[in-house]
Amino acid sequence: MHNCDSLDPLVTPFVDGELPDPDRRAVEDHLRVCPPCHSRVAAERAVHELLRARRGTLCQTDAPDALHLRCAGLVHREANAGSAKAEETRISRAHRSLELPNQETQNSRTENLRTPNLRTPNPELRTPNPTRVAPYALAASLVAVVGGAFLYQATDKSARLMAAELVADHAKCFALNSALGTLQTASVVEQNMGAAFDWSFHLPDDPVREGLQLVGARLCMYGKGKIAHIMYRHQGNPVSVFMLPKTMRAQEFVDVLGHEAAIWCANNRTFVVVAGEPRRNVEQIAEFMQASLH
Amino acid sequence: MAAQGLRLVSPAFEAEALAALDSLYRAALRLTRNAADAEDLVQETYLKAFRAADRFEPGTNLRAWLFTILHNTARNRARDRARDTVAIDSEIVDRAADAPPPGSRSAGGPETPESLLLRETLAPDLQAAIDELPEQFRQAVWLRDVEEFSYAEIAAMLSVPVGTVMSRISRGRHLLFDKLKALRPANA
Repeated sequence: MHNCDSLDPLVTPFVDGELPDPDRRAVEDHLRVCPPCHSRVAAERAVHELLRARRGTLCQTDAPDALHLRCAGLVHREANAGSAKAEETRISRAHRSLELPNQETQNSRTENLRTPNLRTPNPELRTPNPTRVAPYALAASLVAVVGGAFLYQATDKSARLMAAELVADHAKCFALNSALGTLQTASVVEQNMGAAFDWSFHLPDDPVREGLQLVGARLCMYGKGKIAHIMYRHQGNPVSVFMLPKTMRAQEFVDVLGHEAAIWCANNRTFVVVAGEPRRNVEQIAEFMQASLH
Repeated sequence: MAAQGLRLVSPAFEAEALAALDSLYRAALRLTRNAADAEDLVQETYLKAFRAADRFEPGTNLRAWLFTILHNTARNRARDRARDTVAIDSEIVDRAADAPPPGSRSAGGPETPESLLLRETLAPDLQAAIDELPEQFRQAVWLRDVEEFSYAEIAAMLSVPVGTVMSRISRGRHLLFDKLKALRPANA
């Protein structure tokens, strides 16, 4: 039988369901005969359960898109910068600043707690990884595309410039998406974009019929405002559908930076389908989207 | 030849690490209480993580490892800034954590239906009550109840013994309970 003081270190693991059986039963026995302890355990459990139940609400704040992009670009940027020697110096500095707490000083109150060994180096990770080449190629093509967009600014300030900027967003967002691997359902996309643009719309009901698979949607910056960027894969290849609010454009087909862009307008919104596919495929996808998006 | 350090980062490691970004950002926001500082902190965390990827032991919790780097980085930054400010004496906080919660032993009356009492708590009230907790209790409760890390993982992140983690969680939960209870109408 526990007295109230000896119960102290056991309350939190008891509430969390982490107490081994004999201890758990002893705590339960004590709680049955001790209303004050029962009350404090109930208070702690109530908060624990409330926080668990409200996790979704408490975790609503997401990191800004720009931060996602910066962090996703760190590996590529760093890999291309500096000599091997400089890198070595930086790593040893990073190792020093990564000093982890001494596990031996942790006086564990329960025996079965996991103590991950964070110090053991992993020899497997020491060999260069050839699959790293793919993201480098992607990053390089992204640089080419963004650079191309600026070139077009000087030569053509029409639909081609808009299309070039959208092709850059197309490449950037899909690069980010392959890093994060996020997938959104149609209802999430409709809800997010609908709320962002006061836009009541429905995505095509049966994209699979056209060989399309929904990836998700993001907000992109264009000019001084935001535009909707809905991402699909067409037989595995990236396809973007952009919606520019309060913008009127002539219906047009543009071939820019190795991509095809189909532009049309409805209800004071401009829509642009962008894909690195043959024109007839992009025409077909645009026609399919046109039926639903307006 | 350039990517001497970063070539150790496998795409799988990179993708799994980046998947924790939103959680890390929320943790950084609570540590810094400032969006710009939180972004800096997260970016520095990833830079360190990618540079030291070879030190991560596969099979252990990558999220926990990243949180540890985040908290270590935040502590180092706070230490750098503390030269001009009054340092918080963590011993005092720990002594407070070890003390029994106020009122925990005094009331011998009938039990209150505690969970019923909190059930109607409004989301902004809950968030505000969490934000008002002293930092060390706030971190411990958040890492346990919201991020669901183990005591040992939290101990590594906060650089304190496991026993201290548990008493901070306990103390933090009781402080939260008292705050939330006070928000309920008198007849609740």
